[in-house]
Amino acid sequence: MILQGKRVDLPAAPVVHRRFEAHAQRSPQAVAVCCAGERLTYAELNAKANRFAHFLVARGHGRGSRVGVCLDYSIDMLVAILGTLKAGAAYVPLDPSYPATRLQSLSAQIPGLALVVASPATVGLLAPADADVVDLAQLADQLGSLPPGDPDVVVTGADECYAVFTSGSTGTPKLAAVRHEGWYNLLNWLMLEYGLHAGSDNLVVSAFGFDLSQRSLMMPLFCGATQYLMASRNFDAAMAYRMLGEHDIRVVHCASSTLYVLVDWETARGGEVLSRLDYLLFGGEPLRVERIAEWARRPATTCTLLHQYGVAECTDVASSYRLADYWPSAPGNAPVGRPAYNTDLHLLDEQLRGVPVGEHGEICIAGAGVGAGYLGGVGPEWQRFTTVVVDGVPRRLYRTGDRGYVTPDGDLVVLGRLDAQVKVRGMRIDPTDVERAIGRVAGVREAAVVVRHTDAGEAELIAFVVPSGNRLDENDVRTQLFGMLPRNMVPAGFITIGQLPLSPHGKVDRAELTAACQKRYAGHGAPA
Amino acid sequence: MIADKVRAIWCRELQRDNVSADDNFFALGGQSVILAKIQGAFIEELGVEVPVDQMLLNPTPASISAYIESLGAVNR
Repeated sequence: MILQGKRVDLPAAPVVHRRFEAHAQRSPQAVAVCCAGERLTYAELNAKANRFAHFLVARGHGRGSRVGVCLDYSIDMLVAILGTLKAGAAYVPLDPSYPATRLQSLSAQIPGLALVVASPATVGLLAPADADVVDLAQLADQLGSLPPGDPDVVVTGADECYAVFTSGSTGTPKLAAVRHEGWYNLLNWLMLEYGLHAGSDNLVVSAFGFDLSQRSLMMPLFCGATQYLMASRNFDAAMAYRMLGEHDIRVVHCASSTLYVLVDWETARGGEVLSRLDYLLFGGEPLRVERIAEWARRPATTCTLLHQYGVAECTDVASSYRLADYWPSAPGNAPVGRPAYNTDLHLLDEQLRGVPVGEHGEICIAGAGVGAGYLGGVGPEWQRFTTVVVDGVPRRLYRTGDRGYVTPDGDLVVLGRLDAQVKVRGMRIDPTDVERAIGRVAGVREAAVVVRHTDAGEAELIAFVVPSGNRLDENDVRTQLFGMLPRNMVPAGFITIGQLPLSPHGKVDRAELTAACQKRYAGHGAPA
Repeated sequence: MIADKVRAIWCRELQRDNVSADDNFFALGGQSVILAKIQGAFIEELGVEVPVDQMLLNPTPASISAYIESLGAVNR
């Protein structure tokens, strides 16, 4: 089974920042970005980004380099991103809400990291030994002396534009890189398919490390619209909802779990700001339709709801579905729709043969969005990037590890993972990555992490911990983990046991642990 | 007292019979959905919009109460 996306021509050089530069040429006085009461026009943002690009090139960090961006949402973040792209380099988002130790181990994993852009608020999170760390504010004088014009750097569609960390299955996060052509294709598809334009003002509500945040950051600049950023390190529902109304925001991209929070906020207070957006684009985890159905079916809700699917390895979004007519009486898996332009979705069996309509298979992605692969590793994960022959023509393809099927209407439905990976509030998590961190906590001999679903249907992690001494304080373990892992990766509950049960093959018996976990939490909404 | 009201809000949103002044939000099973509910309750019941960044920096009833008092919020 192959779902073929519409073929749409891209420019000879599908390079994302060229679109931004064209808007800066055509409408220099249009507002590009607003954050914390400060605003910059397209001309002003372009000049700032150009100066930073000249700075990078002069330092030898031009085409093919990689630049870490460890900033809170701010105008400087866009300056750093656009400047990096203009220099021909790729950027790697480093979310300052992560603990310093995590940020340091992640940045040590970036091959050929040229420098990291930080601010006074984030510089302390980074180890100076990793790479050059620069503070844009401190560079102000130096940047001011550099030319404001576009740097003369050739960039092609095959060049890397950004790389994001995502979970693997070996306990170590993977750095998935994408190319300009794929990113351009994604933004161009969303713009043309949904008619986004210079009035499609956007508010970013997702955490910086997610692939969806890269799309949300660039989408309005690709269309000539205004980008609004929250001056908050963490998602702030009150601030987000207030900004939606105050600035007449039209478009929001978010994880499904964030949508629930915004819908709850609006429902509890009787507002209509969210309902009246032009577009909400969401996905990244199984959608719990019942969390939004009542709100979505109110007459006041005129917003187009787009339920989407994709993976970081293939430039974020691969398919999209208008939820308008999907309100079944029984809970089920809401479709994720049809492929992006120039993208094909293959449903394959273990031998990489196509399965018929309605039959389950592994979702594989081919086309413009297939990324540049994992940086700095040659592990088994690389085998997910492979080649299949379609009608005699070899095509590069990425095996997502997600299971799904195609409906008779030609829409994709995602069923879940083939492996142990799990999504917690939109973040893809490899339980072994969490187990490793717990294993490093003083007083812990070993740990196993399983997934549990709360009564409300939310996935959460439960850790079985084997102490090395007599006693282990759960709060102590939790506190230490908050210093080591992003919040969504810290288990919701801890269960101390004498030893981990093993399967006949000598591996940790996850099935038994999952059963023990269900028994333990039976009848409880949350871990006690 | 603000501290009492904060504890009552935590109990309700975290579905606990009892919360002590030094209990940690995350140790009580807190996560982002509940964070937003508590933030909303602070607005409606204490008349103050507490930034989520501050709620995460002050993850106990004692410390967030101290923060709210430092704002000089008018106790409704």
